[in-house]
Amino acid sequence: MIEFVFILPIITGLVALSLPAPMGRVLLLITAFLHLPLSIITWMGKLTPTYPHLFSSSPEGLLILLLTSFIFACISIYSFSYVDETVIANKPVFNCCMMLFLGTMSMVTLSDHPIVLWIAIEATTLVSAPLIFIHRSREALEATWKYVIICSVGIALALLGCFFITLSMDIGNIDTSLTFSALYDVATKLDPLWLKAGFIFVVIGFGTKMGLAPMHTWLPDAHSQAPSPASALLSGALLNCAFLGIYKVHVLMAVAGLQEFSGNVLIGFGLVSMFVGAIFIISQPDYKRMLAYSSIKNMGIISFGVGIGGFALYGAFLHILHHSLIKSSLFLSAGNILLAFGTKRVQRIGRVINYLPKTFVSFFAGFIGISGLPPFGLFISEVIIIIGAFQQQHYISVGLFLVALTLVFAGAGRIFMSLSFGEYSEKIEVGERPLRLLPPYALLLASAVLCVWIPDVVYAAILDSIKMIGGTFHG
Amino acid sequence: MESYLSLAIAILAAPLFPGIILKVKAFFAGKKGPPLLIKYYTLAKLLQKGSVYSNSTSFVFTLGPTVSLASALVVLLFFPFAGADPLFSFHGDVIVLFYLMAIGRFFTVIAALDTASPFEGMGAAREVFFSTLAEATIFTILILFYRLNGSLSFAEYFTGENPISLAGASGALLLFAIVSLFMVLLTENSRVPVDDPATHLELTMIHEVMILDHSGPDLALIELGAFYKLFFYSAFITHLMYPFTLAHGISNGVIFYIIIAIIYGAVGMTESIMARYKMNLVPKFILTSFALVFFAAILTMGVFQ
Amino acid sequence: MINFTEAILVIILLSVLFSLGSTRLLALVRIMVLQGVAVSLIPLFLKDHGTLGSGPIIFFQVMILIKGVLIPALLYLAVKRVAIKREIEPFIGYHASIMTGLVIILVSVFITNHLRLSLPTGQATLLIAAITTMASGFFLMMARKKAITQVIGYLMLENGIYLIGTALTKHSHTLYIVEFGVLLDLLVGVMIMGIILNNINTAFDDVDTTLLGRLKD
Repeated sequence: MIEFVFILPIITGLVALSLPAPMGRVLLLITAFLHLPLSIITWMGKLTPTYPHLFSSSPEGLLILLLTSFIFACISIYSFSYVDETVIANKPVFNCCMMLFLGTMSMVTLSDHPIVLWIAIEATTLVSAPLIFIHRSREALEATWKYVIICSVGIALALLGCFFITLSMDIGNIDTSLTFSALYDVATKLDPLWLKAGFIFVVIGFGTKMGLAPMHTWLPDAHSQAPSPASALLSGALLNCAFLGIYKVHVLMAVAGLQEFSGNVLIGFGLVSMFVGAIFIISQPDYKRMLAYSSIKNMGIISFGVGIGGFALYGAFLHILHHSLIKSSLFLSAGNILLAFGTKRVQRIGRVINYLPKTFVSFFAGFIGISGLPPFGLFISEVIIIIGAFQQQHYISVGLFLVALTLVFAGAGRIFMSLSFGEYSEKIEVGERPLRLLPPYALLLASAVLCVWIPDVVYAAILDSIKMIGGTFHG
Repeated sequence: MESYLSLAIAILAAPLFPGIILKVKAFFAGKKGPPLLIKYYTLAKLLQKGSVYSNSTSFVFTLGPTVSLASALVVLLFFPFAGADPLFSFHGDVIVLFYLMAIGRFFTVIAALDTASPFEGMGAAREVFFSTLAEATIFTILILFYRLNGSLSFAEYFTGENPISLAGASGALLLFAIVSLFMVLLTENSRVPVDDPATHLELTMIHEVMILDHSGPDLALIELGAFYKLFFYSAFITHLMYPFTLAHGISNGVIFYIIIAIIYGAVGMTESIMARYKMNLVPKFILTSFALVFFAAILTMGVFQ
Repeated sequence: MINFTEAILVIILLSVLFSLGSTRLLALVRIMVLQGVAVSLIPLFLKDHGTLGSGPIIFFQVMILIKGVLIPALLYLAVKRVAIKREIEPFIGYHASIMTGLVIILVSVFITNHLRLSLPTGQATLLIAAITTMASGFFLMMARKKAITQVIGYLMLENGIYLIGTALTKHSHTLYIVEFGVLLDLLVGVMIMGIILNNINTAFDDVDTTLLGRLKD
């Protein structure tokens, strides 16, 4: 009953819709902490799928499932306090959509059938749109509209990509069940032309959802308008799920012997995303948008790493883990700042270090982490990607990569400094609460720990995920 | 014999059908409407009257009605009504005929300008502008038919060995041609939504304003020419919709006139349910008709070979 | 007798062209009814599908119901509710739009002719119509300002994708693939519901996406 992993949050989510908000909050917490052990049990392989032709547990899927579950647990603690302190017109809808969001994302990680994967990703769009619109302002409406329209076009193109993949099956006269695991076995018999076309459309389609430039335009708006727990979830979990869709097709390409083509496509999108992220960060007046552009940049790095393959692929998977942990922590800290100062404009905020000392610690540590400095994991993952790229002789790409990293560091540094030590003389609205401090700390701690010590099971899972396409740890 | 007979019937019957348009419009308006033969009565009335000529006009003014009627009549001589062989036919006659109709229009325009009335000049400008646009559509239709059928004459289009019709090999494409030809019909014959023959304000007129100064028999000639032109376009569409290749003289004729009546009814319906376009939207309307046949022409190059 | 598949395809192309040139929203909604019904009828007339079981027949009827009745009804409601009587003011004018339509079909013919080698036979026209519909939908989304016209553009895009799926895939799989395109209609429905329910008419003067332009860098 592996399906229970995503059925549970969906059921509790629907139940929460009928409950009053305080009980819904408790239910959110309960769901999160039921989902976490459930994911761990799945991870240990104790659950078998009831519909093996639709769902199965792949190592990369499980990795992202566990990550999502952990982040969601932290966010649920945070939102337990956060929702109470902000004005949200319809709190049951918030609770419901958070849980449905978790459910659909878990479904993405477990699906093995391209169409089921596609349906699940479409469902994430549908259930997360109300989260972005939750404040019901004009800006929120605009952000939601952009999110729905742009992601819908993306999802439509991804469906076209799936058509092309099935067409390549038809042309190759292959009669097998349409699942990724079955397709990997017959990959070499697929028609390469249509497979390439399918890959391009899938990358454009799911890449829209993942925030790859130039299809990223919805992302900064949605992330800045959504309430902070939802932003953290969007950035830390949803982007990974969309990545999973691309990765599965990339593996299919690699098994079919087209790794060079798909790798180059991913490298191209990766570099463009990095630069778009870096350039828009530099003079960004809104700190949540700044974090959103940082997500775009990091998705670019991941896609770059996966495109290069080999050792860099390992780095890319590490990058996924650490980026999710650190970025969701940063969004939660940003939520604390937003609650206290009531604005997202960097110029109207200052002296966070005096007013919110504990948030300052997590926020600044997050900045260190996201800039790729030790003791946080992005340091290691970026170094590995760079080494991997050097091994594959992508010297120009590495040069561009480093320039982008420097730009981001400069841009983000300016904003962090201005927030932390800038001028501010008025009173703050809401102080700090332990429930809103613990989760960002926990997430950062997880990243720091994973930086110095990776548990063997996680290490093995990453190696399992990448061995299909020749990724190794020893280069 | 059959050719003469069908031509004679067509020439005699042409003024009957505009009566159908009036009937349909009256039906939509919930009125009884004028009798079906109203146009015959009008023609008879006009022919009995005398003509009034302005002092400022020259012989050009009197030439206009005659030439426009003559050009419309000549076109009918070449058309295979209900599948009967036309009186004349040669390779390339369609091009000659469409330009013959243009000559008719040219003389109407020049007669309008001859009156030196500002209204008539305005109407002439509009008429020429819109028919220039419609010409693009007509010639794309001819290109399309050439691709389908390889000929350039009405007789070969409809009575040749590979007739163009909806039921033919690439008949689906003719849907495009029929729709756009219907749009051209509305444009060329000054019907709603391009022009409103029933309007009373000179500023909004296109065709009617050009013939304001004509009276009596002159006006009758112009009206008759207009009836023939409309009849020609309707017959053209009719032939695209139904193939009249089999030699069943009588039944062909009946079907032909039934379909013609339906097309006139459609014109009447269009006039009843649509308002006239603003002047600046008319080019878009004509352009759409061009785009439609262009679509079809492209498709013949792609797959319908 | 007349070839029904081709006739329907021509109707679809006609609807695409008219939608590019239509100035009134209600006319656009009516065109979408025609297009929706035509698109859902296509699979019934394709030759190589042989005899259809009762399952697919019911499915196609549901398709017609969704594409031809449900979605247009929602669109109609939205147009009425938001009370847009004015003509749509486009970013790209109507003449230019129609010309773009011509260019699009030229390009689709070109593409299809180049792909024909690896296609199931006899479906080239279907592919031309499909690519044209899809590309025109894209174009409509970019060229029009009103939110509701963008949704209609998306609907066209989706119809095009459904047609491409029908043209390209055989129905030999045990699980239907193309039919899941219907789920995209769900998104369309959600977008329209968004327009209707979110009181865009009270928040804005009208549903104009240029008014949705406050979030910028």
